[in-house]
Amino acid sequence: MGPFQTPWLTFFAWIVIGGSILLAIAWSVFGF
Amino acid sequence: MSDTAIYVLVLTVYMLLLVGIGVLTSRRMRNSEDFYLGGRSVGPWVTSLSFVAAYFSSVVIIGGGAFGYRFGMSTLWIGASNVLIGIALVWMVLGRRIRLFTERLGTMTVPGFLAERFKAKEARVFAAFVIALFLIIYNVSILKGMGHAFEGLMGIPYIWAVLLSGVIIILYVSLGGYLAVVWTGFFQAWVMGLGLILLTFAALRAVGGLTEANVALRTMSPGLVNTPGEWGWAGMISYAMIVSFGVWGMPQLMVRFYSIKSVSVLRVGTVVATIGGSMAVLPFLNGAIARVLHPELATADLAIPTLTKAVLSPWGGAVFLAGVIAAGMSTFASVLIITSGAVVRDVVQKGLGRELSERQTVRYSRWVSALVGVVSLAIALRPPALVLVLTAFSWAAIASTCLWPMLFGLYWKRATRWGVLASMGCGLAAALIWIGIGSPFGLHGFIPGIVISLVAMVAVSLVTERLPDEHLDRVWGDG
Repeated sequence: MGPFQTPWLTFFAWIVIGGSILLAIAWSVFGF
Repeated sequence: MSDTAIYVLVLTVYMLLLVGIGVLTSRRMRNSEDFYLGGRSVGPWVTSLSFVAAYFSSVVIIGGGAFGYRFGMSTLWIGASNVLIGIALVWMVLGRRIRLFTERLGTMTVPGFLAERFKAKEARVFAAFVIALFLIIYNVSILKGMGHAFEGLMGIPYIWAVLLSGVIIILYVSLGGYLAVVWTGFFQAWVMGLGLILLTFAALRAVGGLTEANVALRTMSPGLVNTPGEWGWAGMISYAMIVSFGVWGMPQLMVRFYSIKSVSVLRVGTVVATIGGSMAVLPFLNGAIARVLHPELATADLAIPTLTKAVLSPWGGAVFLAGVIAAGMSTFASVLIITSGAVVRDVVQKGLGRELSERQTVRYSRWVSALVGVVSLAIALRPPALVLVLTAFSWAAIASTCLWPMLFGLYWKRATRWGVLASMGCGLAAALIWIGIGSPFGLHGFIPGIVISLVAMVAVSLVTERLPDEHLDRVWGDG
């Protein structure tokens, strides 16, 4: 069970959203 | 003030602002590139937030809430796939090449790019017809969504709601063209975000927080918090694909990359679009919370309107309604100008070979935008059953036709004229036939459409003659 009583597989959706934002920032700083 | 007076006041101010933007942007209209691409001068903030506003319509907010209500927290994955596949990756993979290639080829539309890139005149007319037909159907569904939102949240009769919002959009699009579309879209993205954040805070407070919502949902049924839970993998993944990967073939979104001032716009734009697009997850979350607070609703479509009335004050409700309407209007406007471009640029000017001066083109484009808008409006007032069935597949039809030709056109030098024609024809046929036989296995028609379209693209390209090197060098900027 992940944070907020969310099953991990469902909580991973929140991680994907945060990860997408970090990926976009990393791309614009390093990959552009 | 009565509730109705508050709603009317907020909406009147809002509509006047939109028309004002239309009037202001109409002053910079000299030629067709101004009308369709804003003279390729748009900066990062306006590009990225108007991309988000064009991506999400009222259907996403009300319908996303309905999905959350029916299936629970696993629907957060739809929002997550929107952000990763539908925004972040699109901006990183397609943005730069679309901007550079379309300028070298001198095209302003998706059918135009396909025709020039593959030296295939047939591709232009075929793509323009598919885009115009299915985007009008898409527009009907957007208007319908707005009409029902007005009705559900404010009690305005459906017909008046559709007429009011439709006429305002037609006015500012015909006046200001692309710049009016992106500037109103930029403004509307903020209203959408504000409305959704207000609702989310109020809903979380009403339910006692995210932990409480999850615990309450699990006691109702574990399937409401698990992934894929009550939805099942096939339905969930195929739905996530159509609403996220489908973006890669949608002309009203791809055009945002045509119109950027320079490639460096993508640097800030990618980050802003990804953060702004994260609001996509909120309708699903609020739908799931509505399931806790109001478990006995007659239909899932009532989830968001019921939740709004329960947790927001009249002022908050008015702002949220403005957000829902903003989502619909910005998408409708973006689609309207693309449809007009397909008709005027691709069918009349290039397809039929009508010579038009730049001034005439702008005038034609304004009238065609108004005409397409009025046709969508007329159909939306009393939509025939067939149109309603097709609205669920408008994205599938366009993406099956345009997605691989766009992607391969930007990345694969070996793609050929016949490959692209086979890909478009077979992809569209596969999607429509799959839908016609009743979508077996609960699989969305988008999936067979893009699979067949991909196979046709690669197989036919490999057995037909490649395009001349000098042409490819010019497109890739190597020459």
